[in-house]
Amino acid sequence: MPTPAELVGRFVEFVGDVLGASSLRFGIGPTLVVLGVLLVFLQLVARPISRWVTTDAGGLAGISRAMALAAEAGTDAVVSLGTAGIGRATDSLARLQTLAALPLLGHVARAAARSGVPLRVLTNDPLAAAIAGSALDAAHESTSTAERLGRSRVVMVGEGRPAAAGLVMTTRARPAAAIAMGSLREEATLHLDGLRHSAGSLSSGTAEASQAQSVLLASGGSLVGPELFQAPADLRTDVYERTTVIAANRLIVATLGIIIAASVLSLIGIIQPNDLLLGVGRP
Amino acid sequence: MRRATTPAIVIVVGVLLLVDFLVVNDSLSQLADLAVNAVILIGGGAAVAAVAALAVRRAGDLWRRRGDPVGAVLVLVGIGAMLIAGLRPGSAGATDPAVRWLISALLVPIAATLFGLLFFTTIAAARRSAAGRGRQALVLVAAAAVMLILLLPFGGEAGDRMSAAASWALDVPIAAVFRGILLGVAILVAVVAARTMLGVGSADE
Repeated sequence: MPTPAELVGRFVEFVGDVLGASSLRFGIGPTLVVLGVLLVFLQLVARPISRWVTTDAGGLAGISRAMALAAEAGTDAVVSLGTAGIGRATDSLARLQTLAALPLLGHVARAAARSGVPLRVLTNDPLAAAIAGSALDAAHESTSTAERLGRSRVVMVGEGRPAAAGLVMTTRARPAAAIAMGSLREEATLHLDGLRHSAGSLSSGTAEASQAQSVLLASGGSLVGPELFQAPADLRTDVYERTTVIAANRLIVATLGIIIAASVLSLIGIIQPNDLLLGVGRP
Repeated sequence: MRRATTPAIVIVVGVLLLVDFLVVNDSLSQLADLAVNAVILIGGGAAVAAVAALAVRRAGDLWRRRGDPVGAVLVLVGIGAMLIAGLRPGSAGATDPAVRWLISALLVPIAATLFGLLFFTTIAAARRSAAGRGRQALVLVAAAAVMLILLLPFGGEAGDRMSAAASWALDVPIAAVFRGILLGVAILVAVVAARTMLGVGSADE
């Protein structure tokens, strides 16, 4: 039986062997660049709320009101996670949009759970369906409304992008609110038009550059391009936070304006910053 | 406990794949392949479970006489036809001629028919948006109208100039907007990935 010292020695030898059998795929420079970029991003995102945004581009601030209307009318709400899914055979940019839509689903699910509104989640991917089911579970758990969980459901609409569009165009249900967030491609207009016709209100978003016009023409709140990924960070921008950000942004703009104006005046010789600051020329 | 387990799995697998991307090592490569294959297996299992759940739900709809019976029958017949074509004795699976016929003669034309509606729905959406007098929609519809006029098949010098203007619009302002969107998406995708690895959720949780 090896002693602890021998065990540590063997472990160090094993690690040394592994390191000795390895080589960098890109060389030391590019590897450090990749790790450096990752470090910068990690520093940038270590905050839950974005700093600059003061608008409600996707109309997400109105979800609570939509849920109240749904509760009053006794109808449900629909969330479509787009048509890329997570495990489907499509490009990674499209599948990442489904991941970006999951925090938005969680936000809507919590609002629906608090209001007692049943939620229908539409997806064409089994993995996304499983994760959406977990999101619904978590929403009801966090709002202590587990007894309402059975009224919400995840609908697997079938394989393919046209299947989802066909379903929303032919469904007879009349939800109070519809939210479509995620990858939408050729079928985007059909998908959003179907939701808009049946639902009382519609919020839509996609990061597909070629489908920006579809969400803009769909009426209601729209998230175009990067906004879909940015929106989850702005979900809690309530009145107080929004006012603070607006005030800070105006101060920054005013400061920049003063700096630019003073620079122009200094360049054309009307004022001299040193004289102004030191009070030279004053009586 | 559940909240701690999921980020831990994400971090471990994410770091493993990142290190495998940066470092050439057989052991690491095998571990990374194992993780990727496990994801593929989970995805396959979830797909089978989802199809089974869909079939059970539609069969339940028929049995209890609720929902849309025509849709339920079509779903069940479709699943059955594809299963029989792909799994019958002697079938070549996904490459079997019967499976290919079902796809090329039924699914593709149905999807094409659906996409044929795009012309009408796009025109209707543009008309509705213009009637709503939303600023973004008005700019969008006006730009589309200008591009439509520029792309009209006129001949002569005027036609050449219109065609050149359309090409310039596509190559410069429209391409710039597209690239701007793609750059913004790429940056925020990286931010979202880092948020996921750090376990930074949305602020209202």
